[in-house]
Amino acid sequence: MSRLRYLVIFLSLLVAVVLAIIPLPEWAQLYRPDWAALVLIYWSMALPKHVGLWFAFFTGIILDVSQGTLLGQHTLALVVIIFINMNFYQRIRVLALAQQSIYVFALLLIDQVLVAWVEGIMGRPTPLLAFFGAPFIGMLIWPWVFVVLRDIRRKAMLSDRA
Amino acid sequence: MNIVIQARGATLQALFLVILCVAMMVVDHRFHHLEIVRANVSLALSPLRYLVSLPAIAGSWAGEWFTSHTELLEENSALRAESRILNARLQKLEILAEENARLRRLLGSSRKIADDVIVAELLSVDQNPYRQLIEINRGSGDGIEIGYAVIDDFGVMGQIIHVNAQSATTMLISDPDHATPVQFVRSGTRSVAFGRGSTTQLELRYLPATADIMIGDELVTSGLGGRFPADYPVAKVIAITEDRVHGFVTVIAEPKARLDSSREVLVIKPRD
Repeated sequence: MSRLRYLVIFLSLLVAVVLAIIPLPEWAQLYRPDWAALVLIYWSMALPKHVGLWFAFFTGIILDVSQGTLLGQHTLALVVIIFINMNFYQRIRVLALAQQSIYVFALLLIDQVLVAWVEGIMGRPTPLLAFFGAPFIGMLIWPWVFVVLRDIRRKAMLSDRA
Repeated sequence: MNIVIQARGATLQALFLVILCVAMMVVDHRFHHLEIVRANVSLALSPLRYLVSLPAIAGSWAGEWFTSHTELLEENSALRAESRILNARLQKLEILAEENARLRRLLGSSRKIADDVIVAELLSVDQNPYRQLIEINRGSGDGIEIGYAVIDDFGVMGQIIHVNAQSATTMLISDPDHATPVQFVRSGTRSVAFGRGSTTQLELRYLPATADIMIGDELVTSGLGGRFPADYPVAKVIAITEDRVHGFVTVIAEPKARLDSSREVLVIKPRD
């Protein structure tokens, strides 16, 4: 049971990492949502006892290595948003999907700003408008991510109680 | 009570991880201790990279397979013609190289030996959109090390910044963090070309207003700094802006290498 749970979570995170490095045309790259953040937010809402900060940490390291950013850059952002989520998920997961999306937009924006902030500290300021594109697309995609992962979770019969 | 303790534990854990992240970033930025972590994680991820670049590989394979006979014949004759022209030029070059060596001997300076190269291909993998990085399919197993120069058939592309066993990350000369030591072919003025985050522009700052620069001037690597071997084409001047107040000029140059479209690249081993 527990092995299956981790397998499903790992596979979904793997897909998220693949989606993060799959080649897109240059104009679309700024609008690529942070798939890993979306998947992590889902799992930390659905299985908060199993998916938490350490998952965020290791996923972040993998993202940093695959994106060529500083080790810790995406990691920091993911740890912070998952920590915020740990404090709010009980109130959020009972909301309608559209309302959840707005919350997810806020989390993704914090994620984006933290990553861009580190870029800025290293002397590579990023254009302000570029901040909002990816979280906005992420917000639109959230209901689909939620429904797909929920169905997978139900098929695999994963819950926090087991 | 239990919940309070749990929440406090999570907060401490988050605080610990945040501090750890910041420490890692500082160490990664300033030193090279984490290069081994990066190389190993990167190696573990290489199947993913190949998976992601599979469609591109399959596409080019299918393209080759379905090329028509007449197209192949045309291409063949075009290549033959090109090879004849190149051969003719090569003969001239050999004579020039010999003459050059003789002159250098006369001058008593050391002779230039041909550079060692490794042929590599790009992996079509997207990196951080704010940076100019590419992945190539050769790594430390093929003799690649950090700092090696990467060129395509038109000019200098960049240098290796991370290596794992089977692939390596190249920072393009257009990355905002990259500076290329260059020299103007016509006037011999030396300068440094900075990336601007766009594949079509490099910037040369703070050149003296009296420097002899014209639009269309060619820039080659100067060989200073030891990273890039000398005399490889880098860029061509496309704009010159004058700062009359401070008496400097800033030059914008267009890279010669096709930074955004080359698929085959050469990695140059420095001679020591």
